[in-house]
Amino acid sequence: MIETKSLIKKVITSEGELQILQPITFAVNQGESVAIIGASGSGKSTLLGLLAGLDEVSGGHIFLDGAPLHDMNEEQRARLRGEKVGFIFQSFMLVQSLTALENIMLPAEITGMSNPKQRALEILKQVGLDHRANHFPNQLSGGEQQRVAIARAFITNPKILFADEPTGNLDSKNSQKVEEILFKLNQESDTTLVLVTHDDELASRCQRQLRMNAGELREETQHLKVIAGGE
Amino acid sequence: MGMNFQLAWRLFKHEARRGELTIILLAIVLSVASVLSLSLFSERLQQALTDRSAEFIAADTQLRSRQPVDEAWILEAQNRGLNTAFQVSTRSMVFAGDALALSDLRAVDNPYPLKGNVKVTDIPFGQGQEVDNSPAPGEVWIDSRLFQLLNVEKGDMVEVGDATLRFTQILSEIPDAGFSVFNTDPMLLMSAADVAATNITGPGSRVSYKYYFTGEPAQLETYYDWLRPQLNREIHRWTSIADDDSPIGRSVARAEEYFLLASLLAIVLAAVSIAVAAQRYSQRHFDPVAIMKTLGASKAMVRQIYLMQICFITALGIAVGVVVGYLIQNAVVTLLAGQVEVALNTWYWRPLGIAVFTGVVCALLFSLYPLLQLFSVPPLRVLRKDIEATLSSRALQFVFSGSAVFLLMWTYSQNLLISSILFASGIILVISLLGMTYLLILLGRKLGSGSMGAWTLAWARIRRRAMGNSVQLISFAITIMLLLVVLVMRNDMVEQWRDQLPEGTPNYFISNVTEDQKEALKEHFDNNNVSYETFYPVARGRFVAVNDEQVRTEITKEDEEVANEGRQGLGREANLSWSTVLQKGNVVVEGEWHDNWQEGEPVPISLETEVARRLDIGMGDVLTFNIGSEVVTATVTSMREVDWQTLQPNFFFVLHPKAVENFSATYITSFNLDESRKSEISSLMAPFASVTLFDVDARINQLRDIIEQVSMAVEFILVLVLVAGALVLIAQVQASMDERLQELAILRTLGLKGTSIRFSVINEFIIIGTVAGLMAALANEFSLYMLQTRVFQMPASLHFEYWAIAPAAGSIVVGLLGAIGCWRLLSLNTGHLLRKMV
Repeated sequence: MIETKSLIKKVITSEGELQILQPITFAVNQGESVAIIGASGSGKSTLLGLLAGLDEVSGGHIFLDGAPLHDMNEEQRARLRGEKVGFIFQSFMLVQSLTALENIMLPAEITGMSNPKQRALEILKQVGLDHRANHFPNQLSGGEQQRVAIARAFITNPKILFADEPTGNLDSKNSQKVEEILFKLNQESDTTLVLVTHDDELASRCQRQLRMNAGELREETQHLKVIAGGE
Repeated sequence: MGMNFQLAWRLFKHEARRGELTIILLAIVLSVASVLSLSLFSERLQQALTDRSAEFIAADTQLRSRQPVDEAWILEAQNRGLNTAFQVSTRSMVFAGDALALSDLRAVDNPYPLKGNVKVTDIPFGQGQEVDNSPAPGEVWIDSRLFQLLNVEKGDMVEVGDATLRFTQILSEIPDAGFSVFNTDPMLLMSAADVAATNITGPGSRVSYKYYFTGEPAQLETYYDWLRPQLNREIHRWTSIADDDSPIGRSVARAEEYFLLASLLAIVLAAVSIAVAAQRYSQRHFDPVAIMKTLGASKAMVRQIYLMQICFITALGIAVGVVVGYLIQNAVVTLLAGQVEVALNTWYWRPLGIAVFTGVVCALLFSLYPLLQLFSVPPLRVLRKDIEATLSSRALQFVFSGSAVFLLMWTYSQNLLISSILFASGIILVISLLGMTYLLILLGRKLGSGSMGAWTLAWARIRRRAMGNSVQLISFAITIMLLLVVLVMRNDMVEQWRDQLPEGTPNYFISNVTEDQKEALKEHFDNNNVSYETFYPVARGRFVAVNDEQVRTEITKEDEEVANEGRQGLGREANLSWSTVLQKGNVVVEGEWHDNWQEGEPVPISLETEVARRLDIGMGDVLTFNIGSEVVTATVTSMREVDWQTLQPNFFFVLHPKAVENFSATYITSFNLDESRKSEISSLMAPFASVTLFDVDARINQLRDIIEQVSMAVEFILVLVLVAGALVLIAQVQASMDERLQELAILRTLGLKGTSIRFSVINEFIIIGTVAGLMAALANEFSLYMLQTRVFQMPASLHFEYWAIAPAAGSIVVGLLGAIGCWRLLSLNTGHLLRKMV
């Protein structure tokens, strides 16, 4: 579903060119859930941006559901994102001037899906917010906003879901709820999930964990062990 | 497209309801409302002033002619819906019993005057009362001087040429008597129906014909288009109040230029507020655009959605602006109803067109750059909030904004000069401000490195933001500068108008004072406590040659028929004066004034610059005049600029007294007799019956009325522009508060006291206001110098007081607005502040 070959990213800084991603080669299969973990500044979000086609690669190849992202221009990547990709962000990234329902409808409308409202209402019900359909984001709690964002991510039935610290801005109770919904919907729709997080517990719910360190990516040799029950 | 429209409409609807479009909407409403109210008010006022001024020519336009015009021309005018009237005038002796006098005869038909009123009086030199008719056939109305000269009573018969007519009224004034101290013949008004019987217009007589027309401007214009090919420049002259070169005409013309300037500045103010608001609008939409792009929206889709949204905002802004502008204008007109004659019921489409055009151009052109920035926001911003728009070119922004402002100013004013001057000042201001901002950064680097006090924080913020927010600093400075220009121009102009007619302005002129009478008259005036002006010697001379080359023309100021026709003029004599003392209101601009003339040198003469230019006379030319049977030659040794706005006798030609030592002169002077003593005029002048008295009181009062009205209107326009400016400043401060939100939240979270934060923000605004005020004062001097010398033809002056006032006012007003804006933000708790940031 996702495949990279010698993927690199360089940026220009005041001190010259800086390579922030070392050549990265890996693959994620259809329906697989992968967590990318690592310290701040290790390059997790940069990698996510490249995998999702939000940023341009400096070298190497990325194939997203077979489509060569590295060869596409911004317009082509936008179309691909609209058709195959869903997003969840740490800061929710809802359009403040649209209601919860309208935010969920937005990707469906952009991609020209039929009956976006009906589909949005269904999915809003699935995330338990049908009673908040006409509320604006600033009238919702953080957890509710993230549930709206999850509903928005799933409305187009994406093949791949990218989630950037989805529980990073939430308290533990809301984090729990959001996680449940996220993984439930992910399982139901057989979506490939790429999740960037600091949260080992969240990462451990994914089938694979990849660790970023100073721009390098390596597969965790053993699954993370999550200490449960305060042990 | 349908989906994009729905999305755009949905965003617009929600954002409008939630108050997120308030600033940009207010900016558009403000621009449309201020331009509409100013233009509509100024159009109505100008119409009222033009109507009022039209009274001075007794019509909207006049056709002057040296011979009767084809009857068909008048019929054509009437067929086109114009009102017409007619006057024939000449100079002729009139007789009553044994008395006789040379008189200025005016024969008019019944509709005369088409504008203004004829005034009559019960007693000579008494208060005039308006009448709505003119002399009936068989009647004459004679003015106070002629009344005295002919020694008649009402009902007596007066002989005019071959006709004998009955004297029925003492004439006080007619609207188009003209304003010239050299119009010395007393006036007789009669019916045009009696002209044939008088036989005074036969061959050899000098007769002038005036045809009066009133109607809609468009009607007059099309009639003139029809008439023009048939006119002979040697014989005919088409004049309107716009061609009026009298002090009144010039005052009205200058007021019109001021209104134009004020409206232009209102447009620029509106443009600045829209620019600020559009920038803010764009920045607030960076995130939604990044989200849409992330979710798959193409660039074209984003473009369509936001262009449509701007169109919705513009349409709503224009609609509300038109209503608000109309209400403001009506409120002002209602308030002014007692003082200024403004036709409330007249609606003009041009101001509406200009206002809508302004709204559209401002909203679209000023949002163009912010929109291009918005479109360029990369989707990656959803992951990295520090990523801004990829398009960032101040130069491009200035090019877009600059061309928009210039286009608007030029389109509106149709006056390249005023537009260029204001635009150039703006450019200079922007460049200076950028330099100043840079200096401020350097200065702030030193000052802002102490302990964390309110001033230190303020300097630190300016240092960090100064370049990035130069638009804000520049817009503050431009706003203050525009307000200064309108304020100072108004002060200078109104002051100059009032200076024309100070208290005690002479209201009577006397001429034909002989050398023998001069000292006696001075003593008489002194004894009767009458203040009088200088006695100027006058002689009428025929200007015949330049350097022995005969000239075909003579130019005299009072001879309106020929004044604009240069060398083509005929027959009238020039009024020559002589003195070694330079007259008040005269400035020598070339050569030297002849007060140091030495015996043996050629006799000098000084010329007014304009007449010298028209007659192509230069320094050193030798001019020849015939005064009576004598020939006088003199060499041009100086050129003078004359302030014709002063109501003083002025002369094109001033000789050295040596040139005329063999002539006996007559003198002209003026004096003031205030209202309470007007009844004494007959007895005062009785011992000097041969002296010609000319009452200009009515003219001066008319002029004073108009100047007062125009001044008042100008003050109201100033208030309107000031209100517009204040609103712009508020919009700017509000816009800048968004940018401060994040920093305030962090400082509050870190536990800095609200007072310290508040003072630091206020101090920052005080510094910005002071700098903006200082730069505005600088640019103001430049703009004023250009406007005063190039447009308003006024003497340029420096305004040092504003070098202190502008920075002080800038710091107070901007600081205060900053304090208010900051109060609102700091009244929110930290949690709320942080939530607002998300």
